[in-house]
Amino acid sequence: MSNGPSVSDLERLQLNAHDIERRKAFVDFRPDDVARIAAIKDLVVLNADRYAATFFDHLAAIEEAAGLTRNRSLLEQAKRLKHEHLIAMVQGDYGRDYMEQRVRLGVLYGRAGLDVRVFLGAFHVLMRAVGTDVMKQFAKAPVDGFETFISLKKIGFLDIGLIVDVLIAERERTINLQQDAIRELSTPVLQLRERLLILPIIGVIDTMRAKQLTDGMLRSIRDNRARIVVMDVTGVAAVDSKVANHLIQAVAAARLMGANVIVTGVSADVAQSLVALGVDLTSIRTMNDLQGGLEEAERMLGYRVVHADGAAPAFGRA
Amino acid sequence: MPVPILKQGDMLIASMQSNLEDRDLMQLRDEIAEKVGRFKSRGVILDVSILDVLDSFATRTLRTIAETAKLRGAETVIVGIQPDVAVAMVQLGLTLDGIATALDFEEGMELLVATIEGGRLDGS
Repeated sequence: MSNGPSVSDLERLQLNAHDIERRKAFVDFRPDDVARIAAIKDLVVLNADRYAATFFDHLAAIEEAAGLTRNRSLLEQAKRLKHEHLIAMVQGDYGRDYMEQRVRLGVLYGRAGLDVRVFLGAFHVLMRAVGTDVMKQFAKAPVDGFETFISLKKIGFLDIGLIVDVLIAERERTINLQQDAIRELSTPVLQLRERLLILPIIGVIDTMRAKQLTDGMLRSIRDNRARIVVMDVTGVAAVDSKVANHLIQAVAAARLMGANVIVTGVSADVAQSLVALGVDLTSIRTMNDLQGGLEEAERMLGYRVVHADGAAPAFGRA
Repeated sequence: MPVPILKQGDMLIASMQSNLEDRDLMQLRDEIAEKVGRFKSRGVILDVSILDVLDSFATRTLRTIAETAKLRGAETVIVGIQPDVAVAMVQLGLTLDGIATALDFEEGMELLVATIEGGRLDGS
């Protein structure tokens, strides 16, 4: 899914200097927090491996994290980044470089399909391990120890904010890709005969898709010199007044280009809801089903379909 | 620049120019009303294929031309509305109901001939 997490990911999250400052303000991170964290720098650096192991051991026991823990190369990368992260966490410098590191880790989690809930749980376990050691170091001054740990935790929450943002952004990107794919697949305009197009519509019509559908239809009308378009809405489960309006506009635009539109396949439910909505559909020519629509279109174009033995009547399903 | 009006048999043909101004449209309206009577024309073709926008004034004027010509005994077809223009017009509510439209000049001519020989245009 994602290849090179880097500056573009940062830009998508709008991680500029201002935003970084805002993020620090969100967790109430102040200069005296940096001083407190400095007091546990050696402790955390010394035990970074153990803390990272706590994090991954916890994940290993969770089935939902299999995407990460069972993928050897991703896991190796994650472990390395996590180790770097723990070291960086106590260095006192939380600028763009630090954020970039977090984003890289977040993108990796996203690729591994790590759930936000699972990540939060594991991160909490990690912080608990750190917290226990901090409290031991400050055994004689527990209040100082607690405050120091809280200072570190602010950075922890800063990280969580970033990672969650990245995970959400990754998910949104996947959804967008899928939407694009669906969109491209779902609006074909087919030429059935000279001057006759069919436009099968399947699925949900939103404003975006209605616009695309209209554009595609009008272009095809021009390119194929179509006179009649049969728009089949059998595959449209629900129609509200907005969608109906889109369809009416598409029909009106086609007419301006000299083409007639026949709408077919309006289901009983859709018909009832349209009538209940009070949508004015008098300007739209409708037929029961696709077959009826095509036969009507052929008649309008002057085609006469005759059975091979010459006996059967062309139209009208008798 | 005024819109030239060509006479071809019992048809009048007007092709809009790209830099169409309101003044030109009004002049076109007056000229067509006059020429339909003078040449006893049966059909009018208004070609707008070069225009990339048709605003409400232009649309209203085209409608007026069609209705005026009708009263003077000629059918009118508007031809060559482009896809983008059609979408924009529909969004503005300018649907030219009751006025015949066709894809391009050729189609419009065919439609007019069929109408004049056969019956009437209903624009639908």
